Amino acid sequence: MRGGRKLEKLLIQCITENQDSAYRLAYSYVRNKEDALDIVQDAIHKAFLSVEKLKQTGSLKSWFFRIIVTTSLDLIRKQKKVQVMDDENLEFILPGSHDHYPNLDLAQSLDDLPDKYRIIIILRFFEDMKIDEIAEVLHENVSTVKTRLYQGLQRLRVNLSEEDQEEAQR
Amino acid sequence: MHDKLNRMKEQYESTPIPDELSSIVNKTIATRRRKNRALPWIASVAAACALLFAGVNASPAFAKAMSDVPVLGEIVKVMTIREYAEQDDNTAVHIETPGITNLGNTELEQTLNNKYLEENKKLYENFKDEVAQLNQEGGGHLSLDSGYEVVTDNEQLLTLLRYVVESAGGSAESRQYDTIDKINHLVITLPSLFKDDSYIQVISDNIKEQMRQQMHDNPDNIYWVEQPGVEPEIPEDLFQTIDKDQNFYISPSGKLVISFNEYDVAPGYMGVVEFTIPTEVIQDLLVSNEYIR
Repeated sequence: MRGGRKLEKLLIQCITENQDSAYRLAYSYVRNKEDALDIVQDAIHKAFLSVEKLKQTGSLKSWFFRIIVTTSLDLIRKQKKVQVMDDENLEFILPGSHDHYPNLDLAQSLDDLPDKYRIIIILRFFEDMKIDEIAEVLHENVSTVKTRLYQGLQRLRVNLSEEDQEEAQR
Repeated sequence: MHDKLNRMKEQYESTPIPDELSSIVNKTIATRRRKNRALPWIASVAAACALLFAGVNASPAFAKAMSDVPVLGEIVKVMTIREYAEQDDNTAVHIETPGITNLGNTELEQTLNNKYLEENKKLYENFKDEVAQLNQEGGGHLSLDSGYEVVTDNEQLLTLLRYVVESAGGSAESRQYDTIDKINHLVITLPSLFKDDSYIQVISDNIKEQMRQQMHDNPDNIYWVEQPGVEPEIPEDLFQTIDKDQNFYISPSGKLVISFNEYDVAPGYMGVVEFTIPTEVIQDLLVSNEYIR
């Protein structure tokens, strides 16, 4: 039949092996079980749909993670749109509430870090992916990923030794 | 590694993994595999039918003129010719196969009815395979429900919808439409409605516009479509164009409706999505206004 049979097998293996990582990744965006499970499920459907269109340029894992990331972002964007309305209503209902400016430069924990930095820290240090693999997941170029990695660490007040920094840039 | 990073890693890795994750993953894979496997035969059966009817199809007017069979349109009937149901603790299957009678053209009638029987037989066999495989992998719940519905039935057209709903944790629905000209006794294909292939681009562009409009009107609507000002997340996943033989039907009021299966152009929660194409958009491309008005 199709030449995709072997690729399909590899994909199934990749999804099965990385399901916990994929779930944690999704969870780090949406922070609730139901949405994270939905994302994993949707991402698997998407992966099977487009596996035949996949050109073998990189690793299957990077590609699958990328689908998880984009599916998460889709969901967040959808929820954000709803939230904007809420804020407007709140302001209308609660006049005179003071604006609160958190210190944007300082993040106490990973959860405080904006998505674009957090994902890189997660993939680099917790999922042990290389910089060029992360660039593949995020569809960014390698230097952008390196810059954000560095900025993310700064915001977390993580000062790596020179040796560790070199290690991290790989 | 840095202490703080290590602590963060521990925290990250302590994100609890829900018990149902692996069963959801396995079931989704099972559904998807069956779907990918099912596609080739649907395509080949569709292609065979297209070939068979292309001759008459090319000129509805000619076919009409040559037809010596009295108009039997009103008494064409669709009924269930085979029903199959089976259920146990983990699996359930229900398949209803339609049969068309009194079409006035025995050959066409038999071809269609055989196609329905044949496809549902395959559907059932694939389901059994999947259940066997799932049991090998530790078991799980699977169900399959397939049936039909008459969408349009007027003096000229009969549109039969056949649907398949597969459930494995989540569910996935797919639909297949057949539009039959009862007067000229032919199956209408999408390309046969148009003068040339330019309809593919025109209809696709119109659908993209409708998708963007719907997303703009209601943030709950998500389609995988290019949006100005939004960088594409997975460019190769975005909706590009409809297929030459995209699933379609003609509504009772004579409008062309394009149908996409679940997950084809939108996330699962959007379900099966359908777009009515305004006739003025395709007017210049139509062979005639016989079917589409």
